[in-house]
Amino acid sequence: MKKVFSRVLPALFLAALPAAAHAGGSFDSTTILRIEQDSRNGYESKRFVPLTQFLGADFDKLGDGNLSLHLHGWLRANLVDGSSRIGNDDDKLDGNLTYGYLQYRFNNANARVRAGRFFVTEGIVNEQVDGVSARTDLPYGFGISTFGGATVHTATPPGQPNDGKGDGIFGGRFSYRKGGLLEAGLSGIYESSAPARGTLPTGVLSGNFGSHRLVGGDFWISPLSMVQLSGRASYNTETSKLAEQSYLMQVTPGKDLLLSATFDQYNDRDYFFSSILFSDMLKKDGQQSRAAGASATYSTAKYGDVSADYKHYSRDAGKGDRFGGDWRGTFQDKSLRTGLGYHYLRTTPDFAILPSASGSFHEIRCYALHDTKGYFASVDLIDYVFKEPVQGKDYAWEALAALGYHLTADLSLSGDLSYGKNPQYDNEVKGLLRLTYNTTNSGKGATK
Amino acid sequence: MRLSHQILTTLTLAGLLALSACAQLKALPNLPATHPEAVANGPVSCAECHEDQQSGTMKPFKAFNHTRVFVQNHRFYAASDDALCASCHKFSFCADCHTNKGAMKPATLNGDRPDRMMPHRGDYLTLHKIEGKLDPASCYRCHGRTNNERCVACHR
Repeated sequence: MKKVFSRVLPALFLAALPAAAHAGGSFDSTTILRIEQDSRNGYESKRFVPLTQFLGADFDKLGDGNLSLHLHGWLRANLVDGSSRIGNDDDKLDGNLTYGYLQYRFNNANARVRAGRFFVTEGIVNEQVDGVSARTDLPYGFGISTFGGATVHTATPPGQPNDGKGDGIFGGRFSYRKGGLLEAGLSGIYESSAPARGTLPTGVLSGNFGSHRLVGGDFWISPLSMVQLSGRASYNTETSKLAEQSYLMQVTPGKDLLLSATFDQYNDRDYFFSSILFSDMLKKDGQQSRAAGASATYSTAKYGDVSADYKHYSRDAGKGDRFGGDWRGTFQDKSLRTGLGYHYLRTTPDFAILPSASGSFHEIRCYALHDTKGYFASVDLIDYVFKEPVQGKDYAWEALAALGYHLTADLSLSGDLSYGKNPQYDNEVKGLLRLTYNTTNSGKGATK
Repeated sequence: MRLSHQILTTLTLAGLLALSACAQLKALPNLPATHPEAVANGPVSCAECHEDQQSGTMKPFKAFNHTRVFVQNHRFYAASDDALCASCHKFSFCADCHTNKGAMKPATLNGDRPDRMMPHRGDYLTLHKIEGKLDPASCYRCHGRTNNERCVACHR
């Protein structure tokens, strides 16, 4: 199947190229050659040399000018026998069509129809579908969107007979907008019945897995020009319980100051219910996860922005607090970008990797990027310092340097080299070569 | 005879309503398919150029300033305003991270762009054993039903 697919994908792209000759369009292509060696005590040394090709194409203004075609996918060839990092994957070739759809955009009301493989992000819905979708604004601030088709199946976890997904899926969102003041939406998703799963592994709770069926709502409110409140909540109709609620408040008391607060709550069983992988990790019923946080960001045109943030995590298993700050600078008309950050995560021992270790650690990061018309170069240093050693090491650090050259405005060649030490490896050296071709949309906007 | 009269009346009314709705839809403007000016790389503030309310989303432009908070919480905006996102970003921009089957972790794909807030930089293999227990929902948002090969290699 993979071999068939790996030939179909490039054929699909090649077949679409003539259309581009008669239409405005844009392309992006990234070719990455990685070279890695994995040497660990007690294990056979392995070399990984995967060559990965990402391809994307957007063909605008086909047909009467409102039709467009959008494609994106990747192919990977392992250039050294048996160099797949993943268990029993002996195939030298692998690939995926991330999306490939035709879109017809009507002249009014932001109405559009899509057919093919696409992602749907509407309210609580976030799905990849092989099918058809449509949306339009309606008079008086209302809007409607709907989609339906076949589920995009994924890999089957080891020990399971399937990926845990039903074969068909449909859903949609109905919304109302009042200019500058509020938006409210109701959305839902219904997937056909989940297939039977395999025998439950020891220690896994029964009754924690089933069909993917949710309804929910989302909102955005701005009662004052300086205040924005966003939120969403989903209800699992299979378990008859709230799955998720998330809220974000943003306040801008001055032009340069942004204050924010977040609150997220998840009922783990109801949120993970349709995931064959995550439902297995549930240790007890009624488990909840909560996180509440706040941040303040002060921005200046000259020195970039500086922010401080705090987040409190609460689970039945324990509690944690993360706090710290960041500075992000942009200079020389954004060609020089820098960053510096420090955070500390303090947790109860329940979140430790090992009973003898600690779940608490410091995170320190700094980076700089200089992107000129000719060359671009960056360095990125990140260090995690554990409160107690993990597998004999109390740190995990990595330094990455990248250097590239803009061969033309759209074509660039770059190389990354990273070195690090961490609990997994005494020395970790990774390198890659990257050839990137990236054009802007025909109507401008940004590149990727 | 009476039934067919009722059906005819209903269809006529439905037709008139549909025509009326279509006429009203034609009065509703489209968002521009693409931003008319090229947008530079790096953090973007819509409010640098736009002061008013965005006509398609009916929200103020400043709501879409790409602040750190916006980037961390962009799911709230993508879930209702993806047409506005698409006026500047190709969808492949989203696909760097959001895909059911990834070829490599986004931080590796974009190793030369440390300014982009890519997840899982550094030795995340070690870190995820803490972060995953602390906040599993944050993993679920992307990896929930994808059965990623790197996940199922150990979590089985």
